[in-house]
Amino acid sequence: MTTIGLTLGPVLFNWNADRLTDFYARVADEVDVDRVHVGEVVCGKRMPFTDKVWPAVIERLQAAGKEVVLSTLALPYNPRERQSVRDICDMGVLTEINDVTALPALSGRPFLVGPFVNVYNEGAARFLAMRGGVGICAPVELPLASVTTIAGLCPDVAFELFAFGRLPLALSGRCYHARIHGLHKDSCQFICDRDPDGLAVDTLDGQKFLAVNGIQTMSHGVTAFCPTAEEARAAGLARLRLSPHTFDMTAVAATFRRRLAGAIDRAEAHAALKALGLPGELVDGFTRGVAGSALAESA
Amino acid sequence: MELVCPAGTPAALRAAVDAGADSVYCGFRNETNARNFPGLNFSDAEMAEGVAYAHAHGARVLVAINTFAKAGAMKSWADALAVADQAGADAVILADLAVLDHAARHHPRLKLHLSVQAAAATPEAIKFYADTFGVRRVVMPRVLSVEEIAKLNAAIDVETEAFVFGGLCPMTEGRCALSSYATGKSPNLTGVCSPPEHVAYSNDRDSTATRLNGFTIDRFGRDEAAGYPTLCKGRFVAGGKTSYLFEDPVSLNAASLIAALSKAGVTALKIEGRQRGKGYVAEVVKTFRAAVEAVEAGRDEVEVGRLLAGLVEGGRQTSGAYKKTWR
Amino acid sequence: MVERFKGELPAIVRFLAFPAAFLPLGQALTFAVRRFARRKPAMFDRLGDYGRCSFLIAPTDLDFAFLVVPDGARAEVRTLTRRHGVEADVTVKGPLLVLLGLLDGTFDGDALFFNRTIDVAGRTDALVAFRNAIEDAELKPSDFVGLKGEIAGLLDKWVFRGLDMARRLTGAPMGGEAR
Repeated sequence: MTTIGLTLGPVLFNWNADRLTDFYARVADEVDVDRVHVGEVVCGKRMPFTDKVWPAVIERLQAAGKEVVLSTLALPYNPRERQSVRDICDMGVLTEINDVTALPALSGRPFLVGPFVNVYNEGAARFLAMRGGVGICAPVELPLASVTTIAGLCPDVAFELFAFGRLPLALSGRCYHARIHGLHKDSCQFICDRDPDGLAVDTLDGQKFLAVNGIQTMSHGVTAFCPTAEEARAAGLARLRLSPHTFDMTAVAATFRRRLAGAIDRAEAHAALKALGLPGELVDGFTRGVAGSALAESA
Repeated sequence: MELVCPAGTPAALRAAVDAGADSVYCGFRNETNARNFPGLNFSDAEMAEGVAYAHAHGARVLVAINTFAKAGAMKSWADALAVADQAGADAVILADLAVLDHAARHHPRLKLHLSVQAAAATPEAIKFYADTFGVRRVVMPRVLSVEEIAKLNAAIDVETEAFVFGGLCPMTEGRCALSSYATGKSPNLTGVCSPPEHVAYSNDRDSTATRLNGFTIDRFGRDEAAGYPTLCKGRFVAGGKTSYLFEDPVSLNAASLIAALSKAGVTALKIEGRQRGKGYVAEVVKTFRAAVEAVEAGRDEVEVGRLLAGLVEGGRQTSGAYKKTWR
Repeated sequence: MVERFKGELPAIVRFLAFPAAFLPLGQALTFAVRRFARRKPAMFDRLGDYGRCSFLIAPTDLDFAFLVVPDGARAEVRTLTRRHGVEADVTVKGPLLVLLGLLDGTFDGDALFFNRTIDVAGRTDALVAFRNAIEDAELKPSDFVGLKGEIAGLLDKWVFRGLDMARRLTGAPMGGEAR
């Protein structure tokens, strides 16, 4: 029986070079995941600050026995951003595409498909598999039942679910961090670095609702899909993705491992996660095919 | 330039054609199109009648089958393509890789347009869709500026279509799960954003609250203009400030940019509003017909903003992402 | 601030209309809607299951309201006095002439809502379905009294002309006009 892999997704927030270096050193030493995604996915403007850290980070992670994946930008626009997508595809490291822009550059080499590419059915999955797609992380809103259907019809593709972290819900041409601070996107002062887990967005009646991260809008809630290995396999999943936050990701990965092994029940896993000082309530509605904001069911 | 106009019902299709639309876009009454609202859209028979009416009056019909097929239920989308083909549609507007693939294989007669829901914003992505499926026209994502569209057009050899009037999505369309986070339904999953069955208005605290599945998305006073109950057009609190965080309740009006869009190489101008009534469609199409003709003849600009002021959301208009200051 | 539409009926007309609440108006309208449903079923197909919802149409300038269940050949219309206390799935309030303009497509319902001329409450999905179904039906006065041919055309022309005149007199918005 194959084991269920744990993936550490790309950092979605604007963390500076020092924070990234420290974080990945800890990942290499302590965090019990077998695959780690690196690279800027959300905003091309952040790239000049972080590009320089990646070679050393990749080396460190590989030396620690982690499989490293380079993730590409979800919304490349300008020539520099488009060039970065081509460069990443040509680096000879397994690439995760987050936009169709990257497809021509891969020219038949194996690649992974990120949650920003719209794979909602077996037809799209097969189409990407024929072009070299070997793994697909489902779009966050896709119900688990749909993932299971697709996985059953595409046995050659390894399916992954976004299992932990604030959910990436939307992308815009507009920067909301800049807008909140009265700045223009072109002179944003990279102000999104003030909120390393995202900036909370409440309703007028004080309900915790969303969070913004530059041009990205995220959930306020933290998704938590905590299956046993048996449950994950039955659902057609090969891997679970944990999305990096500033709180203790070592503990997050350890909790998921224990739950996969069946050593703790779901309520215990949820309790362990809640104890980490999360920025929002645990939610899991998307996996159940209901509103993504629905609170995680512990039973 | 080609004027592409919305029709949510057969009556709106006739109104658009009569008002001077070159093309009308519409969809079937099910989850295969991204305006899957109650009471809206076309039955199979109505689609055939609509195409016949348009063709008899020299207009084209573009059928939007622009949602993402449901896992294990491709048949609805395949059927929609077959019925559109059978009805004599001039083109279909698609977004899903699976639906594009199916159309390219089984319906060689149909001209394929790439929906804004596919969010193709780079020459690489557009070329991929053109080379792989024979896509002939791309609807521009509503997050690009006129300069970016001009650069894009210089790098590709398919037609482009740009929105010039109507509702405005501040998010990259086809990449947005805000609605499903709040309600379980979204454009990509079910063809609706902020679905009406989850919208409730209630009068409390001396104002009217708009709630989406329990989340308060706006509050307005007795005399304050109201917007559509759309999640991203709501008022929220972030960083200690209350604001229309994502987008104000405004409508897109790029009439003053018709000449610039033409110069940027845009083939077709698109009016949003399949969910709006035939009165709206007739008025907007007539006004834009005059505006396009004035631009093409080098006459004075038609005052579209003033003429259509009463029909727009929140009573206000913006040129949106076409001007970089929007960002 | 948005200027609210004028267009409510003058008090004298309201007084004259008051006895309507005691006339068998509901029965007559029920009969008219059912007749219409038999002649043009497409509108009711479009409504689907929402046809079984109840819609309270409450002209703000009259002392009575209409409760409509537009269920095709089983449709029902009741007139209710102001203090009826009936709960409906959907309530639409506004000046009578404006509400009539929504029926025949003179006005864009969304625009009226943005301007706060009409007030809506209740099940938004049912309201949207009702609005869209009416939109497509291109209703004419003759549809409800079962007239056909030349005489129907004449009636429609006179009713629309009368409504236009009434809107002009009361200051209600005209067709195609924004504010």
